[in-house]
Amino acid sequence: MFGVPGADGSPHLLDARSISIRFGGIAALKDVSLVVDAGEAVGLVGPNGAGKTTLFNCLCGQLRPNGGTVSFDGHVLDDMPAHLRARLGIRRTFQRVEVFPELSVRDHMIVAERARRGDGALWKDLLNMAKPRREELDNVERVIDLIGLTEMADVPVAALSLGHCRLVELGRALCGEPRLLMADEPSSGLDMTETAALATVLRGVQRDHGMAVLLVEHDMEMVRAAVDRVVVLDVGEIIAQGSFETVVADPEVRRAYLGRTA
Amino acid sequence: MSQFLSYAIPGIPYGCNFALMAVGLVLTFRATGVFNLAFGAQAFLAAYIFDVLVRSSHLPVGVAFILSVLVMSPLIGLALDRFLFRHIPTASTTAKLVSSLGLLIAIPQTLPIFFGSGERENPPNLWLNPNHVYLHVFSTPINGGEVTTTVITVVVVAAVVAMFRWTAIGLQMRAVVESRRMAQLEGINAPRVAAGAWALSSVLAGLAGVLLLPLTASLNPEDPLQFTALLVAGLTAAAVASMRSIPIALATAIGLGVVENLLSGYLPSGGILAQTVVPAFPFVVLVGTLLLNPGLRRLELSSDPLAACDPPPAPPSVSIRDPRLAVPTRVGFWLLVVAFLASSVTWAPITYVTAFDEGLCVSIICLSITLITGMSGQLSLCQAAFAGVGAFAAGQFAAHLGLSVLLGAVVGGLLAAVVGTIVAVVAIRVSGLLLALVTLAFALFADQSLFQYSWTGGGLTGVTVPRPVLGPFNFGSDRSFLLVCFVALVLCSILVLLVQRGTMGRYLAAMRGSPTAAASMGISLRTSRLMVFAMSAGIAGFGGALYASVLNSVNATSFEYVYSLVFVVVVITTGSRTIEGAIQAGMAYSVFLLLLVLYVPARFTGIEPILFAFGAMTYASHPEGIVEYQKSRWMVRVSKLFARYDARRARRTGPPVGESEGTLEGYAQALPAVSVPLGKGFRG
Repeated sequence: MFGVPGADGSPHLLDARSISIRFGGIAALKDVSLVVDAGEAVGLVGPNGAGKTTLFNCLCGQLRPNGGTVSFDGHVLDDMPAHLRARLGIRRTFQRVEVFPELSVRDHMIVAERARRGDGALWKDLLNMAKPRREELDNVERVIDLIGLTEMADVPVAALSLGHCRLVELGRALCGEPRLLMADEPSSGLDMTETAALATVLRGVQRDHGMAVLLVEHDMEMVRAAVDRVVVLDVGEIIAQGSFETVVADPEVRRAYLGRTA
Repeated sequence: MSQFLSYAIPGIPYGCNFALMAVGLVLTFRATGVFNLAFGAQAFLAAYIFDVLVRSSHLPVGVAFILSVLVMSPLIGLALDRFLFRHIPTASTTAKLVSSLGLLIAIPQTLPIFFGSGERENPPNLWLNPNHVYLHVFSTPINGGEVTTTVITVVVVAAVVAMFRWTAIGLQMRAVVESRRMAQLEGINAPRVAAGAWALSSVLAGLAGVLLLPLTASLNPEDPLQFTALLVAGLTAAAVASMRSIPIALATAIGLGVVENLLSGYLPSGGILAQTVVPAFPFVVLVGTLLLNPGLRRLELSSDPLAACDPPPAPPSVSIRDPRLAVPTRVGFWLLVVAFLASSVTWAPITYVTAFDEGLCVSIICLSITLITGMSGQLSLCQAAFAGVGAFAAGQFAAHLGLSVLLGAVVGGLLAAVVGTIVAVVAIRVSGLLLALVTLAFALFADQSLFQYSWTGGGLTGVTVPRPVLGPFNFGSDRSFLLVCFVALVLCSILVLLVQRGTMGRYLAAMRGSPTAAASMGISLRTSRLMVFAMSAGIAGFGGALYASVLNSVNATSFEYVYSLVFVVVVITTGSRTIEGAIQAGMAYSVFLLLLVLYVPARFTGIEPILFAFGAMTYASHPEGIVEYQKSRWMVRVSKLFARYDARRARRTGPPVGESEGTLEGYAQALPAVSVPLGKGFRG
């Protein structure tokens, strides 16, 4: 019913064409097109209010755009609800953290692992077949180790700080073994060394698992360290894209960040 | 045309009655952020006091009006704010709704304690004589009551609109509703503004109640149902207005009054249409509005920007239990179970055994609430209706097909699950407050029309549900039937426990925390909610059938919507997150009732719902439930005692000293005391 494979034929992993969305009278995104190839790390930057998170929401299915089409790995996503897009291999983190306060860090990962396997049938619960299995726990431990929260694996997330919650979100997304990881300002709430470590983790998973990464970030050092290509969004429009150095040198980008008079 | 007008024009004052209710709901919501389901109960209270003052104390109508509406009502509003709603976090929809549910149940029950039970008939009117025709509009006679209602409604609504639009206090009220703490940071005296809003809303409720008096032939505190028609119509008008626009609420309410009058005027009375369409009409409009009005969706979105200041939820009491208590607790539990069973089947007085039977069956119904409210976090206000479906099905199958009651209970449970699925398919589009209202509409619809037919609820005579016979074993006596109820409860508990510990339990906890994030991980919210709803309805239906078998005969009043509210309130009081919470709720409900009947004068029988309603009001500060909260406190105390004992022993025996720290380990794990340098485990 949704996402017929091969219906699209785009060579890119993610192919968003002419996305437009209006909130009342405000055009939050105007005709934005964005592609991400398999295994590629793309940074999405822009001043506050540029529409970065709105674009994320449109790609993941939390918002329905007024115009344009999104395809992922040959599946057309336009009418697909968020959870089916996730099952195709798109995982994201959130700018305002969205964690499950009562679950422990480990339970977050187990939920993600189960959701990835699609292994949540009610009858298995009722037949007492839902205990976490060896290989599930191994995967989960590996990810918890990767994000560095081994020592608080059993703490309810409500008791963690903002920075830790961001890492939990990242770990949860990684447990889904995504083909496209979308991280929305993962470094806010972390200090400089933690941010550097986070960039290394992102690079690592991208290299080891061939994961594509789409990163929204204000910290330019992190963007430089973590991505291959940068797309700049301003007031709902793409104003520049290319390598980090070319984009930073672009006069249009400098004007968007520093104001018209600069 | 003249016939049309003669039906339509009396609809206008009739609709004005709903309008006061609707405007009151909208005003309360905008000024306090609470969807005050108890608004009707507050109106009822003021009307009752007004009536008592006029007829028993022989005060002039004007004085009685001032005392009941302008003095008592705002005082009650201030008390509600001071002792209840001030303590509820802004963001917690459930806590606000549960508190107002508690009030809805408690307020009418307090009246018989002070004034004795029994109806009061022919209540007095406020201003113009309702039996005198004052004027004719298009040759339709308009009596004094109708003039009074229409004039006062229009004047009050105009005043309220003006206050919200043009005064500073109106703006401050809206700011305080959005975020009390943020408003305080801006220099607004938020507590005073909120208190003022509650006083104002209570005055409006009192006014509505007194104005409605001529419309209600009698005032019976034991039958708050007479306010149901008003409640449904008021809710509908408030929902059409998206809980925002007071003029739209007024217009819709009047429109509803006119349409309802036209329907009952034109449809042949006594015909099948008049019997089905007219009663169902308000429910259909209400549910349709709740589901389809996009403006209502935004109600759920508003959240306090300073919500992060709230403390994290308390850890479950089991997690902070000292490991040395595990064995004694388990042994004590089994001893209690054995003692309970042994004494029930041998020497316990038969009245108590009957109460235990009922308690075990109510516990099963309460388990369904644990599933839907405790685990999935959705407030369903129609669990008694599902229990009714199961009960009536079991009775009808036994009477017409000769089906054994146990089999009938299972079939009834399945049927309830089917009904639950149908309700869920309709209601699944919404959550939180709107879901609670849709389920409430279904509960009202079930007891007002669905259960009234002879082929469902058995009409006035009701349905007989016999006790089960299994081969050579006859469970006819209360003592033997207790074993059946016990086994049924254990089986249902195991089912719920398996769901709680399994994948579904984790998914539900995730959805409770953040539906957006759960969907972004590939969890289908729709499927999970549908399954839980169906399973919960099934358990309620099964429990309801057994409950009916305890009672032997049930009719439509056995599963009134009020029971749905009472059960939810009871479960939330004891603890909705755990299975023992449900069992404590069920047993407490029936045993308390028995004790009250046995030892307390008749006028105090209403005390039980009041106690539980007060319990529900603690939900704001202890969402885990009173019993669970007390358990946690005792666990901490015992842990401290153990720690002191360990320390003393360590001092006496010398090192190793480190041992005493281990006793609080479980407690420490549950608290945010762990600090580990970030990024320690990062690998490049």
